[in-house]
Amino acid sequence: MVSLWQKIRRTGRVAEPPPPRERTDPPPAAAELAGSVQIRHVDAGSCNGCELEIASTFGPVYDGERYGARLVASPRHADALMVTGPVTRNMATALRRTYEAVPEPRLVIALGDCARNCGVFAGAYGVTGAVSDVVPVDVEVPGCPPPPEAIVAALRGLTGR
Amino acid sequence: MTGIVTDAAMSTTLITSVPGTGSAVTGLADPAGAAGASFVLALALCLAAALVALVLPGRIRPAAAGALTAAAGAAAVVAGVRAVAGETWSAWLPDLLPLLGVRLGLDPLGGVFLAVTGAVAVCAAIYGIGYTRHGLSGRGVQAALPLFVAAMLLVPAAASVSTFLVAWELMAIASLLLVVAEHHKRAAVGEAGLWYAVMTHLGFAVILAGLAALAAVSGGDAFDRIREATPSAAAANLIFLATFAGFASKAGIVPLHVWLPRAHPEAPSQVSALMSAAMVNMGVYGVVRVGLDLLGGGPAWWWLLVLAAGALSALYGILQAVVASDLKRLLGHSTTENMGLVLIGVGAAGFFAASGSRVLAALALVAALLHVINHAAFKTLLFLAAGSVLHATGTRDLDALGGLRERMPYTTGLFALGALAASALPPGNGFVSEWLLLQSLVNSLPEGGVAHAVTMPLAVGVIALSAGLAIATFVKAFGVGFLARPRGEGAANAHESPPTMLGGMLLAGAACVALALAPTLLLPGLARAVSGVVGGTGDPVTVAGAATLRLEGIASTISPLLIAAWLVAALVLVLALPRLFAARRARRAARLWDCGAGPMTARMEYTATSFAEPLGRVFDDVLEPESDIDVTPLKESAYLVERVRFHARVPDRIERRLYEPVLAGFAVAGRAATRLANGSVHRYLAYGFYALTGALILLAVLT
Repeated sequence: MVSLWQKIRRTGRVAEPPPPRERTDPPPAAAELAGSVQIRHVDAGSCNGCELEIASTFGPVYDGERYGARLVASPRHADALMVTGPVTRNMATALRRTYEAVPEPRLVIALGDCARNCGVFAGAYGVTGAVSDVVPVDVEVPGCPPPPEAIVAALRGLTGR
Repeated sequence: MTGIVTDAAMSTTLITSVPGTGSAVTGLADPAGAAGASFVLALALCLAAALVALVLPGRIRPAAAGALTAAAGAAAVVAGVRAVAGETWSAWLPDLLPLLGVRLGLDPLGGVFLAVTGAVAVCAAIYGIGYTRHGLSGRGVQAALPLFVAAMLLVPAAASVSTFLVAWELMAIASLLLVVAEHHKRAAVGEAGLWYAVMTHLGFAVILAGLAALAAVSGGDAFDRIREATPSAAAANLIFLATFAGFASKAGIVPLHVWLPRAHPEAPSQVSALMSAAMVNMGVYGVVRVGLDLLGGGPAWWWLLVLAAGALSALYGILQAVVASDLKRLLGHSTTENMGLVLIGVGAAGFFAASGSRVLAALALVAALLHVINHAAFKTLLFLAAGSVLHATGTRDLDALGGLRERMPYTTGLFALGALAASALPPGNGFVSEWLLLQSLVNSLPEGGVAHAVTMPLAVGVIALSAGLAIATFVKAFGVGFLARPRGEGAANAHESPPTMLGGMLLAGAACVALALAPTLLLPGLARAVSGVVGGTGDPVTVAGAATLRLEGIASTISPLLIAAWLVAALVLVLALPRLFAARRARRAARLWDCGAGPMTARMEYTATSFAEPLGRVFDDVLEPESDIDVTPLKESAYLVERVRFHARVPDRIERRLYEPVLAGFAVAGRAATRLANGSVHRYLAYGFYALTGALILLAVLT
């Protein structure tokens, strides 16, 4: 325990200073959330590249939580779904049900090129389509994978902070 | 049948002799006292119910007998309440039994048990009207039930050893008849009946020996005479040990409890309620009456023994209950636990009295009696609700129940009420009595020396642990049994019970609520009942205002009514705040969240077995759960498996270690004895001759 405290003291603050906020119009549903967006992440068939970037978005360096966004463990607790990967056939129903389970007002973030337009997996036999073919999408984050800065910027667009 | 008719004839002598022979009846407070009159009326109504059950046709028999039994119970409640209020009554009927006659008497202590028995009888009889309509409306069962109630009413009103023993045996026989009522349906009933018959009669034998010795050393049969006598210490010790063993077996105290989890589940449910809520109390009554009243206290080690037996029962009973998956068996084990808690109170009372602190003794005994009353209320409700479940689904197995909330809403609500009371949480009624019990133990002064300092913290720990496990037990019984989805055919086709059954349960539920909100109304009466036994001066519990209990000499108060009011206020606040401040009022019906994986099935639910599995692991040194994997390979190869079967059970360890060797010994002795009886008449005649000669020689030597 003491060594942990020492480690914390020695390491100090590693989070980068927040970049200036881009002024964008948030979707109308996001305005109702008043700066606090609880996010449920759904892997609909991703290669896990986007997952690594999400992990570092909420890690100590980019610290996504300081802008009011937070990952939660159940769609019942969530305001927004963050979907990665092309929607595979096995995950299409699960994604639809997860979307149904989110209380209103609800948002969907399609994260990465695969989620936006199937990316390199377009036309593969196991792929149903992009996320927008299965559930309505509010925000898209391009990139393969999108860098944490882009994810943070998209989240700040939703929280307005 | 003829026996019962003569009983009815006896009742007429009883009634006529009460006002008739002035010398036989000595009403102390009021010659034509309402307590005595209601008591006699209750007995007469019981006998009338038995008679009606014998003569009326089957169609209207349950209703008529049930109504009369319920009326008898109500009369007994009146008699008991009046006796607690201070009215005394006694009667001597010299012609009813040969040699010693029948002596009856009501005092505040007996009145408590009389009122409890009467109240349970009211609920059980009303419930029985609906419950027995199908399959249990035979003459024997319908006539045995009122006789059982009458016997239980006689036990606390008996005022002499012979009357007490006759009533005790009548109670045992009537309840045995009721336990085996359904023996043609299930083989387990016969086995349960055998265990019950053997255990209850062994208990009767030791009580008989103890009380007969007590009467012999006191030179009289009447309780008044016994109280004045002072038996020698050795005799008192032997008498107390013998009677305590007998009474403990009736109260289901470990290690004499083995009959209870067998007989209570197999009996018809209203009988289970009567046995579990009223009959086991008689064991406690016996301990208090003989140990504290007739023998006048005795040394401290008696009561440490009682306390230890109570603590052992409380823990062992609730540990067995928490792993039980049979609903009624679970309730039976919980009875063992609660009787254990009561005996902790009784033992503490005797111990305090022996070490001179009368006020604490009175407080502990008040707590014990209050717990008897509370236990009777919630156990009646729980057994009757379990009977409704059995009636509707045909099974008692919690693993095959579930989903009864939608199909049996009233039964579910009432069972929830009973479960709250049984888990000793505020605002349930069990909480008040356990709080009182804890207060009496916690505040015992260290002047009693080492025994005090060691026992009291241990007893407090036992009560706390058993209360915690009781919560787990009743969360399991209610959550697994009634909520979620049905896991079996019977539970899926369940239906709500008829109104008479609901009425019986509703009465018991109302009693639970009343006891939870206003125990303050009862406590002065209980204090009066207790002061006659431990002889304390002043009330151990005083009631300040209408709602608050204040303890004599202890800076603790409790107000059950205020606790309930605050809880209701908090609940209303929690429900109202989101409605007032919610941004969106619209509600959306959404599918149950199943992790997106497709529909959840009843097989995914917690069952009673899986819920209790972690507790079984934690307490595996005590419970010793057994599991066994049975692999059947194919004929062609030992590596190809045809079937794998997994068995898991939690056996009663005391039964296995203590009873099975004895039973096996008896079986061996029985087989060995068959060589003595080889069928030769000459040999049998020789046995008789030698036995007679031996007896004569022995007599000649002894005299």
